Amino acid sequence: MVQGAQAGASAPTPFQDATDLTLDQLVNIQVTSVSKKETPLNQSPAAIAVITQEDIRRSGLTSIPELLRMVPGLDVAQVNASEWAVSARGFNSQFGNKLQVLVDGRSIYNPVFAGVRWNVQDVVLEDLERIEVIRGPGASLWGANAVNGVINIITKSARETQGLLVSSSLGTEQQPTTSLRYGGQLATNVFYRVYVKYVNHDGFVDAMGNETPDKWNALRGGMRLDWEATSGDLLTLQGDYFKGDFGQATQIPILTPPFSTNFTAVNDNRGGNVLGRWTHGFSEDSVLTLQMYYDHNVANEADLQGISDVYDFDLQHKFGWGERQAIVWGLGYRYLPTDNSPSSFLNWNRRTRNDQLYSAFVQDDVTLVEGRLHLVLGSKIEHNDYTGFEFQPSGRLLWTPSEQQTVWTAVSRAVRTPSELERDGQFNAAAFQPSPASPPVLVRLFGDPDFRSEKILSYELGYRVEPTPRLSFDLATFYTVYDSLGSIQPADSPFFEAVPTPHLVVPETFQNGQSGETYGAELSAQWLVTDRLRLAGSYGWLRMQLRPDPAAEGDSPQQQFQIRSYLDLPHNLELNGAVYFVDQINAPSSTIRIPVPSYVRLDLGVAWHPLKTLEIGVWGQNLLSNHHPEFPNTRTTLQTEIPRGVYGKITWRF
Amino acid sequence: MDKFSPDWMNSKAKHLLAKLAVLLVLVALLPGAGRGIGGESPALTEYQVKALFLLNFAKYVDWPAEAFAEDTTPITIGLLGENKFGDDLTRAVAGKSFGGRSIVIRQIVREEDWGKCHILFISASEKQHLAEILVKVKTMPILTVGESEQFIQRGGIINFMKKEGKVRLEIELLAARQARLQISSKLLGVADLVHGKQ
Repeated sequence: MVQGAQAGASAPTPFQDATDLTLDQLVNIQVTSVSKKETPLNQSPAAIAVITQEDIRRSGLTSIPELLRMVPGLDVAQVNASEWAVSARGFNSQFGNKLQVLVDGRSIYNPVFAGVRWNVQDVVLEDLERIEVIRGPGASLWGANAVNGVINIITKSARETQGLLVSSSLGTEQQPTTSLRYGGQLATNVFYRVYVKYVNHDGFVDAMGNETPDKWNALRGGMRLDWEATSGDLLTLQGDYFKGDFGQATQIPILTPPFSTNFTAVNDNRGGNVLGRWTHGFSEDSVLTLQMYYDHNVANEADLQGISDVYDFDLQHKFGWGERQAIVWGLGYRYLPTDNSPSSFLNWNRRTRNDQLYSAFVQDDVTLVEGRLHLVLGSKIEHNDYTGFEFQPSGRLLWTPSEQQTVWTAVSRAVRTPSELERDGQFNAAAFQPSPASPPVLVRLFGDPDFRSEKILSYELGYRVEPTPRLSFDLATFYTVYDSLGSIQPADSPFFEAVPTPHLVVPETFQNGQSGETYGAELSAQWLVTDRLRLAGSYGWLRMQLRPDPAAEGDSPQQQFQIRSYLDLPHNLELNGAVYFVDQINAPSSTIRIPVPSYVRLDLGVAWHPLKTLEIGVWGQNLLSNHHPEFPNTRTTLQTEIPRGVYGKITWRF
Repeated sequence: MDKFSPDWMNSKAKHLLAKLAVLLVLVALLPGAGRGIGGESPALTEYQVKALFLLNFAKYVDWPAEAFAEDTTPITIGLLGENKFGDDLTRAVAGKSFGGRSIVIRQIVREEDWGKCHILFISASEKQHLAEILVKVKTMPILTVGESEQFIQRGGIINFMKKEGKVRLEIELLAARQARLQISSKLLGVADLVHGKQ
């Protein structure tokens, strides 16, 4: 069968200008050996999924965490208008602490509380190249905290974002939001882009449908410069600055009835980063990358207040060794100065830290049978100031019995290292009065300087098949054993405090008292029904068994299902639709948590391209219900419900 | 905090050092800080260059009349094996036409579709099966293009070679004549090696 290649309708690029080159010029071009082509997706020995720019454009989703809804098996729950809980393979929480996330090679996993502040992560979505998501451990390459998954958010090069882009949207939830980007050329081989983006979002609603105080806005700007210095050298310099105000309905324990009070916080976050990367190709199969970045984060939140900085240096070298081996090795150094301030929730035993992380890794991809069987062995070795040396090896086997089929299996070890909160923080978790005659009791959680790393060993097996060039399936299964999982346990004996009113303090500490297993499967399919209709679907199934406290088993949905449809209509119209089913979350562990029922979410959108450079779209989101919750209350953040929303968007490229 | 404690000095010094190092390297990365901007030729990847060559082959090769059903039948470039072009080849040929024929790109999956191509690019991924493929198409009016060491010896017409980071051509005229193809002297002129000259 002959399959027609899809013709790209993209704007002219410098490459297309190159079609004027004469034969004499062509034979004399020094080709760049900076490899831009990665291993084809269907040949990765891992559970990997990619969200492409086309998926992003046709989803109508408006933020990075929202885009992650499209990833098979990933658990994305919106907590309130600006906060999300994202996790893979269980253990979801407002700050999924077992997921490593990088933007253009810069880790955005925060060492203070172990997790990602999704509300301060944003880019001009049109400038995204792709989002790569690996479910399961990626620690042998990405290091600690890449326990249940790795998310790589990758923006386009400056060369690919030339010209002016204006994108504006307005809707029932979305107040005026605008992205402005300009890309230009400084010299033959030097490209740049600059951007500003302003997002303004309305608050959501409570269970009764009344507006909640979680409205937010964020302003950001940045640049990227790519210099293709020689045929083998690529230099990138990029940076961003952001500032945002995020409303949050919050609760705090108090010593008088009703022992907890709700108030509205406006969290004020700002920060920025600068990253430089040099990629040098010695030859086609020998590429060296040197990268460094500085990342600065200032949080002025109801609970977390302080500055956390990251200085990171990375060196990576990829080369072929003989006919059968492809080796990647690297060295890394990270310096993490933080300065935490006490807030009304949180106190610190030790306010400043200057932690260092040293790392080294090596990975060898051995071709056992040419084109058929690969063995990938590797390990990362890290030294951190909390737990010393950590070894995170993995072994993967990839078998491609035919062009259309891939079978892979992997065994990997990964660790989640302690956060500063678990080591040095202390906060009041709850207050109550056992009897009218007794003094009030305050449960206070203390960080424990002996808190260790959480450890996992994961076994994975996957199968991909392409029965026809228009239809493909991807199945990934896993069984993961968790040890030394974080838990909260009673510490020493209760003691009295006299101020502000006499009360009893019951201390609890972070311990490594939990263990357990998870297992499950993720199945996804892509079907090009006709040249005009594409369907994508996935189903995820997860079971967790935790000991001795099984409560957290309910943190993540057992089943998830989604189907997305992309239809091209005549007259340059596109009709896009998506249905998501997410199973219930049971969270019986604490009195302030409300279980969240299962929900079905429907998004529909129409986009019209009157010109190649202009897109006008109208989107309806969460169309099936007036409002629904997706995540329980967390210790400090009160859940709000996601209302039905409609918005319009214009994107214009000059 | 006691600012005379060695611990403080230590961390402050570490902080400063790291900051300085990052700044220094970032400044060094700024264009202009190092040597000047490189040569004028655009930075293209190997497969972008190969895509441009394929486009030029469509221009500088003449097929016998029976290779096309009609005067406007497009020139079909078939890709056999792993596609390393991404969409660069599609982008290179978009909107181009030679002698009233536009160009289409097809990924070839089945053997019966080999004959539907005018140019057949055989990826290095197929190097184990070269002889078998080339024997089957050698009498058809198909310009076979390859990127494997033994491509010409196995009966192919044009082979891409890599020399000092450049893409160079090796052409076998005997095979071209057997396929009833006329290769323009312009194309022959830039080839490193031309076999079977009369």
